[in-house]
Amino acid sequence: MKYSIIVLLEDPHADFSQFVKNLHDVFATRGDSFEILIMANGTGGFLRNQLTKLQGFNHAIKAFEFNTKTTQAVCLQAGLKESSGETIVACGSYQQITNDSFNQLLDALDEGADIISPWRQGRVDPGFNQFQSKIFNTFVRRLLKTNLHDLSCTVKIFRKEVLEDTNIYGNMYRFLPIVAAQKGFKTKEIKCQHFQERGETGFYALSDYVTRLIDIFTIFFNTRFIKKPLRFFSSVGLGSLLIGLFITFYVFVEKFFMGHPVGDRPALLLAIFFIVLGVQAASVGLLGEIITFTQGRHKKEYTIEKKI
Amino acid sequence: MNLTNPQPIYLSIVVPLYNEEESVEKLLLGLLEVGRQFEFAYEIILVDDGSTDRTWDNIERLKKTTLQLRAIKFRRNYGQTSAMVAGFDYAKGEIIVTMDGDLQNDPSDIPMLLGKIEEGYDIVSGWRKDRKDHVLKVLPSRVANAIISSTTHVRLHDYGCSMKAYRAECVKSLKAYGEMHRFFPALASMTGARVTEVPVKHHSRKYGVSKYGFERILKVLSDIFAMNLIIRFSSNPLKGFVLCAVPFLLLTLFFGGLTLLALILQWTVGKAIFFMLSTALTGMAVVHLLALGVVGELVVSTSDLSHTRMPEITKKCIITNGEEQVAKRKVRGA
Repeated sequence: MKYSIIVLLEDPHADFSQFVKNLHDVFATRGDSFEILIMANGTGGFLRNQLTKLQGFNHAIKAFEFNTKTTQAVCLQAGLKESSGETIVACGSYQQITNDSFNQLLDALDEGADIISPWRQGRVDPGFNQFQSKIFNTFVRRLLKTNLHDLSCTVKIFRKEVLEDTNIYGNMYRFLPIVAAQKGFKTKEIKCQHFQERGETGFYALSDYVTRLIDIFTIFFNTRFIKKPLRFFSSVGLGSLLIGLFITFYVFVEKFFMGHPVGDRPALLLAIFFIVLGVQAASVGLLGEIITFTQGRHKKEYTIEKKI
Repeated sequence: MNLTNPQPIYLSIVVPLYNEEESVEKLLLGLLEVGRQFEFAYEIILVDDGSTDRTWDNIERLKKTTLQLRAIKFRRNYGQTSAMVAGFDYAKGEIIVTMDGDLQNDPSDIPMLLGKIEEGYDIVSGWRKDRKDHVLKVLPSRVANAIISSTTHVRLHDYGCSMKAYRAECVKSLKAYGEMHRFFPALASMTGARVTEVPVKHHSRKYGVSKYGFERILKVLSDIFAMNLIIRFSSNPLKGFVLCAVPFLLLTLFFGGLTLLALILQWTVGKAIFFMLSTALTGMAVVHLLALGVVGELVVSTSDLSHTRMPEITKKCIITNGEEQVAKRKVRGA
């Protein structure tokens, strides 16, 4: 089988069956074999109602329901386990990009790439959302040194091996192209036409921003330092230690050459604080290193493309 | 080699390759030439470390005509050490020989390395006694060697030489990355492996470009530093952290004493507060380090890593005089 389409159903809406029918049409006209896996993530009985509307397509559709709400990554992994296609098309529960765009993306993958990340053009969601999305993407692009412009698009098309070889958990689904590129998979960004947006608009809850920020940091750490935590923490610790030593030096110069007293000034206290902080950061890194060294031995540092 | 009745493979030659399209064929011919003298079955494992040139195509082409050849292709460049580890993992032989893919090592040295292994050593490291490299490459390497030699228990002249022979069980479970292949002897000797070195031939580079530079020196040095810390701390974390805590403990006592003095002799209030806060801060560091030491001890004790305390059998039996079998068992730190 060529395509396995994994639909992550999170927020139930009336047009869902229409979306699935449309997906079916897109792939049916392509002529390749395909299956649609619907992963209903804590939507109660919604899926069962919808399935009655989709009866004509039963042969191509598999539906799964999670009892309780779980993360997107779990849904995706579960979908992967049940799928039999070579190529995975992951998407949200509504039509985010046009039918033509789907075809463009699929063609791009066939032309030689492991994962396709769509870049929505002509966006139809409110300007404020676009603005937020732009800030998020620019920040990620700068910090993680990628050239992807639109991680927030729910559609991701990739070869099965990409998900098998990358460790995606929690809310990391949107970062899949970055993690995959880091593992050596060929990532391509393709411009496509935005069709519809159903997500929340306006300001999100404060916790959403915090979670997103933590996610970015997690990815940053995971892609750069997970195998060598000592590097990360010791660079932080060394910086702090140097600041502390510099302040100490300055205070003593003042004391011995200018005659200013040391004892009851906060400067030296600050210096001690920085030194202690530096040692603590470095020692945490060392502990991290001990953990990866002694526990993570079975984890491979590399990804193998071929063996002969 | 008897092809109709294949013997189990005795020797695996692991060669990491990165953008070596010109060298592959020559390298393979050199290895096969040496292989003709062998009376045992062997294999050649080429690891393509994410080359961007035609290295892999050449390997696939050569594979068709060479039965002994096996190969691995990485998705991207992960470095020589990872390539070696992947090769170890894939190897079937009892003995593993590693060498550079840039034709600077000479395959004709392999029988000599094997000879040393048969003498009873577990690891034989090559020593490029007469090195044909630019002085800017040799000098940093000398420094690195001196540091590794003085900080680990294994004393060799040339840790950076890729030409090494190992008993497979010594390296099968190694965990390493970056530039850590230099530490394979040191890591393996933690399990009680016997390490020795032999001078090997060295040729100047014919094809491709050297993958060295100033950045590399920094990387190697920081790896050396990290590796030393890791080796020390992971065999006895609590001890290491306690040692780190000692200076802070002394500072705590010092500031604590001054606090008492300040209170008793009624110095200015500012001084008393300053000393009190200093005592608290340094005391915190002591507690933090001790706590980490305990957690570290916990982590190491639950790990499957046996090298830190378990005696390990590095050799089950050796045959001397062709008949007598001697079982040897070695205990770490003996």
